[in-house]
Amino acid sequence: MIIFNGVGINISKGKRRQGGGRRHRLRRFAGEQSRTGSWVLRGVSTQIAAGESVAVLGLKNSGRTEFVRLAAGTLIPDEGSVSRREPVLPMVDLGRAFDRGFTVRQNIYLLGGLLGMTPERVEGALAQIVETAGITTSIDKYLGGAPALSRQKLAWTIAMATQAKTFAVDEMLAVGDPEFRERCLEQIKLLKAAGTTFLVATEAPRKFEGFFDRAIVLHDGVVAADSSLADGLALLRELRLANSITDTAETKSDPKARPELEDGF
Amino acid sequence: MRILQTLAYRNGVRTFWEHRQVLRMLVLRDLQKQYTKFRLGYLWTLMEPLGMALVLWFVFTQLLGGRQLGLQPYFLFLAVAILPWWWFSKGVSGAAKTFRRNPALLRMSVLPTRIWVIRVVLVSMAEYLLSLPVILIAMLVTRTLPGPLILLFPVGIIVQFFLMYGLAMLIAAGVAVIPDLARIVRIVLRATFYLSPVLYSVANIPAGAQVLAAFNPLVGVLGLYRIGFWPAEIESLPHYGISLGVTVVIFIAGSVVFHRLEGRILKGS
Repeated sequence: MIIFNGVGINISKGKRRQGGGRRHRLRRFAGEQSRTGSWVLRGVSTQIAAGESVAVLGLKNSGRTEFVRLAAGTLIPDEGSVSRREPVLPMVDLGRAFDRGFTVRQNIYLLGGLLGMTPERVEGALAQIVETAGITTSIDKYLGGAPALSRQKLAWTIAMATQAKTFAVDEMLAVGDPEFRERCLEQIKLLKAAGTTFLVATEAPRKFEGFFDRAIVLHDGVVAADSSLADGLALLRELRLANSITDTAETKSDPKARPELEDGF
Repeated sequence: MRILQTLAYRNGVRTFWEHRQVLRMLVLRDLQKQYTKFRLGYLWTLMEPLGMALVLWFVFTQLLGGRQLGLQPYFLFLAVAILPWWWFSKGVSGAAKTFRRNPALLRMSVLPTRIWVIRVVLVSMAEYLLSLPVILIAMLVTRTLPGPLILLFPVGIIVQFFLMYGLAMLIAAGVAVIPDLARIVRIVLRATFYLSPVLYSVANIPAGAQVLAAFNPLVGVLGLYRIGFWPAEIESLPHYGISLGVTVVIFIAGSVVFHRLEGRILKGS
């Protein structure tokens, strides 16, 4: 169970990669943006009950990632509070934590450790992790040369092996080949049936038909809708349409904008 | 009182003990990087400070032998201080990079943020401990044996550990909020080398400035290391007292500042 109580987070514009440099300074000069930053989220109050599967939707830079990080506690709110009944496992940028100079085995222990598993527990799950991640070469080889894809698969598998009760995921299942994704979906459906809570910030939740019980749509720093997935998606479509009319030029011309993953899952 | 409790809890050995295994892995990995990169590996840990002590000894006794600096034998005097100086220098410059190395770790890890700071401190400390044989070599070369006060040497290590930890928290948090601080730290670090009694002893400083110099936390630390070899250093005891007091202040300040800025550190990642 995660409780958001009037949560606000203020992040400076520069940090949000919304284009910096000359244009940014000009805009500030024109009084359009403040140097002090902006509220990515403000006055967010909501609850995620145990066993629920919630999709966090929103346009670009609507604070989806921040929402998930706040839930997991890897971001501390500037206002309000977030309380958790049990530890929440963050799954944000997992694949980036690996150390190229480590062997695959060492990396499994490392990421497991970073996610709060003791070496004993990693050892117990080792064989299963290796099998699920589809690692065919020796696990005592260095990870350095492994493609990003297999690294992400490995990260995903390790996170699942923590057997956490609550997962806070950013861009879930944008990883792996179709077959692997299929298997992931099976796995999280099983976990959900067993009462695991999922909070997922995602770009394309459509392929999760029947997985999410609820959708939270973030817009302009507030919860624009807290409804069923279908309603949430409808609202998101509207927002996108409105946004594409007023704002297309800006988002398209901005080279520093975060590239969004086209095909989630 | 509440602050003290938070301090004890936040820095609690328990927190680190819980995560000791992953911490050990991170520290070992950093050390491994240091030692496998070069052919002579560990030998460099000994040779680098030895070489530096040798150069400084040559410059200050053979080239500029006019004024008597420090205490005799000067080579040992230098070696005893240069090793902890390296720890200090590596710890401080490492602390400035703490949250730049891999920001993704902050985003995905469930470990307390302090783990990344203590990691830097432990790595530099481990290197220091591994380089201690240099002092044995210097003792052999100069044929000097320490007195009973050498028992204060480990105390020096403990004090320096807390100094480094406090400083590292201050610097790591500061740099995360104001990146320019990293540059300032570099300059201050260079100045600190000459402002600390590494090349000289506190007694070499003009009497009026000695009290001022004592506010440098390294004075006390280096004094604890040296007192076993030169019991006469005990004369500067009041200075050590001030210096150790400053260490305590730095530790508390570091801890409080880090706690206050933790939110912004996480935001920066």
